[in-house]
Amino acid sequence: MKTLLSAAAVAALVTAPAMAGEIKVGSVAGVTGPIAELVAPIIGGRNLAAEHINAQGGLLGGDTLVMVLSDSQCDPKAGVDAGNKAVNVDQVVAIVGASCSGATNGMVQSVTIPAGVVNVSDSATAPSITDLADNDLVFRTAPSDAYQGAALAKLAHDAGFKKLAVTYSNDDYNAGIAKVFAESFAGMGGMITANQVHEPNKASYRSEIATLSGGDAEGLALFAYYGGSGITIIRNSLETGVFGKFMAADGMFDVSVIEQIGAENLQGNLMITQAASDPENNSYQLFAAEFTKTGMDPAAPYASHGYDATFLVALAIEKAGAADRSKIAAALREVANAPGEIIRPGEWEKAKKLIAAGTDINYEGASGPVDFDDKGDVAGFYSVNRVGSDGKYAMEYLR
Amino acid sequence: MEQYYGLFIYGLSLLTMGGIYAVLTLGLNVQWGFTGLFNAGIAGFLAVGAYVQAILTTPISRDHLGAYNVPIPLAMLAAMVVSAAVAWAIAKICIRLRSDYLAIATIGIAEILRLVFKNEIWATNGPRGVSQIPKAFETLPQPWNTLAFLAMVLGIVAVIYLALEKARAAPWGRVMTAIRENETAASAAGKNIEAFRLESFVIGSALMGLAGALLAQYLKQIDPQVSDPLTATFLVWVMLIAGGSANNRGAILGAMLLWVVWSGSEIVSQRFLSLLSSDWLGILTITEAGEWSIRFAYLRVFIIGLILQIILQKRPQGVLPEKRPKPHPRLRGDATAASQGD
Repeated sequence: MKTLLSAAAVAALVTAPAMAGEIKVGSVAGVTGPIAELVAPIIGGRNLAAEHINAQGGLLGGDTLVMVLSDSQCDPKAGVDAGNKAVNVDQVVAIVGASCSGATNGMVQSVTIPAGVVNVSDSATAPSITDLADNDLVFRTAPSDAYQGAALAKLAHDAGFKKLAVTYSNDDYNAGIAKVFAESFAGMGGMITANQVHEPNKASYRSEIATLSGGDAEGLALFAYYGGSGITIIRNSLETGVFGKFMAADGMFDVSVIEQIGAENLQGNLMITQAASDPENNSYQLFAAEFTKTGMDPAAPYASHGYDATFLVALAIEKAGAADRSKIAAALREVANAPGEIIRPGEWEKAKKLIAAGTDINYEGASGPVDFDDKGDVAGFYSVNRVGSDGKYAMEYLR
Repeated sequence: MEQYYGLFIYGLSLLTMGGIYAVLTLGLNVQWGFTGLFNAGIAGFLAVGAYVQAILTTPISRDHLGAYNVPIPLAMLAAMVVSAAVAWAIAKICIRLRSDYLAIATIGIAEILRLVFKNEIWATNGPRGVSQIPKAFETLPQPWNTLAFLAMVLGIVAVIYLALEKARAAPWGRVMTAIRENETAASAAGKNIEAFRLESFVIGSALMGLAGALLAQYLKQIDPQVSDPLTATFLVWVMLIAGGSANNRGAILGAMLLWVVWSGSEIVSQRFLSLLSSDWLGILTITEAGEWSIRFAYLRVFIIGLILQIILQKRPQGVLPEKRPKPHPRLRGDATAASQGD
């Protein structure tokens, strides 16, 4: 009898229809799994956007935006399962996610595209997502790897480097950027003296550095996460004296790099690219001020992309005038792309009024202008961060 | 109405994934349940099957091997054959190892296979994986494509089940049990232990390869993360132990049950939290509920471990314990006659 009752309670809990006055959007992320620590701020970004929207009048006629969290574990198996639950059980209007490229790729191909649900990814950067036959349902606020690798290669070339060694952490994200970097740098006439993959989370990388040391490289292009292997590789390189100059992508952008290596060792020796928006456009500052209040770091990789993806989905629902899956994709392009009145992070009330008045709007996000091309991708905009004389990162926007 | 249609589709996806796991548990049942071989490298054979299926059927790509245009059923057969061949080579070397040592060896082999798939970028696109894998029946309209794929998976499970039931009751199955229970005695009865152990290992691994081929189609995307030991090895073990080791029905039941718990627990926890944070209960704020939902995600992994602990403590034989096949009537008659003769 007890089991029967509890089974009935569970069944009631599962089949309970969405409560009146709620509009659900799926929030699929690799909560557990290999990139768990990177995912927390991204979910924070998504939730901050939902808070802003709900605090400023909510969706449509005052409905609450509810983000339904589901765990993709950074694994296509779990990603497909999470997508299935969001689309079929929770009946979400659209999905933001699913963190890793592999999980996203599986989820959109097996679940969201056949079901006709829009997916906006805030951190999947695999170039393969661009080419999916997606019926215009897959969007990304995170730029494809192709852009950042090329931006860093140009930066290195312009800084006068001729010979570089490359090492990358063996995960989909860093391997992707490293590949594009090596191709672009060689294409500009530079020489890659050695290109070596490494496994993250080892105590020492001296043997890998020894392998990379041949060929008189002038510096090391390091594609890794700062906590996984990046800091250890810089430390070992400096200890052994093999490399003194480093360039890296946004997986390395964190104050702990300066804290642990020491600013004096890095001044003039380190360049880190990071997806960024033009400082003359103050969207990022607006977001950063609000996000800092939640106790999280606004510069955390893809936190601002998470905010933008969620805010855009909400704008698209508002624009479509109904929580209707089939109308989101078209509305998404209208609110994200020029022309239109500029809307910045946090300006939900203003956007809501403009949409109600029938004015075109153009969201300029915290992560960049987020204008979707016909593949649903955004162009990459980057800054380069060097260690300044005050021991902090000095950011320069790349034009 | 849409709500119920959605639940129906979700139910189909639960059965499909449960069915794929059932193929894995049936494979493990041949190895562990029948013969007592401790294979802790299920993920490796799953990955072999999945990558063979993916590479043989995906259209041309500059990132990995492909464009062989092999029809889906043939590719599934190839996945089984390659998986069996890999298992045979491995078994040749380490099948003589006793229980724990075989477990250690197979864990190592699964890791080696995963690292090969991760690092042979020219063939597998490395950590990025293979995308756009063709799926059987995907051109049919929704929901018929989902139903047809599910029917195929369940059909395969049924065929394997019937075949293994036949094998279990046959002399072959009884030799396997004899080896599991007492190798020395089986050897004294003139059975070639090594050859039988090798057969069992190869057949079980071929089934795991088939599960990989099904999984690759179902997900349409595979990368090294698919053979993550937590969800591809240990979850399968828990399924078999919970369902009932050496019982084929138990293996299928365990797979279905555990997958429903694994997948469904997230819905229950999310609904529970949204209830707590809803206007009329208001125990948690929305922000707190968000933090709790992250904690619940970790709780899921813990629940599976807990289930294993409870089952091992309270019901080590599983939900459906092993049932020995009835001896042949003629044999039984002989036995009675013999005892009467005494």
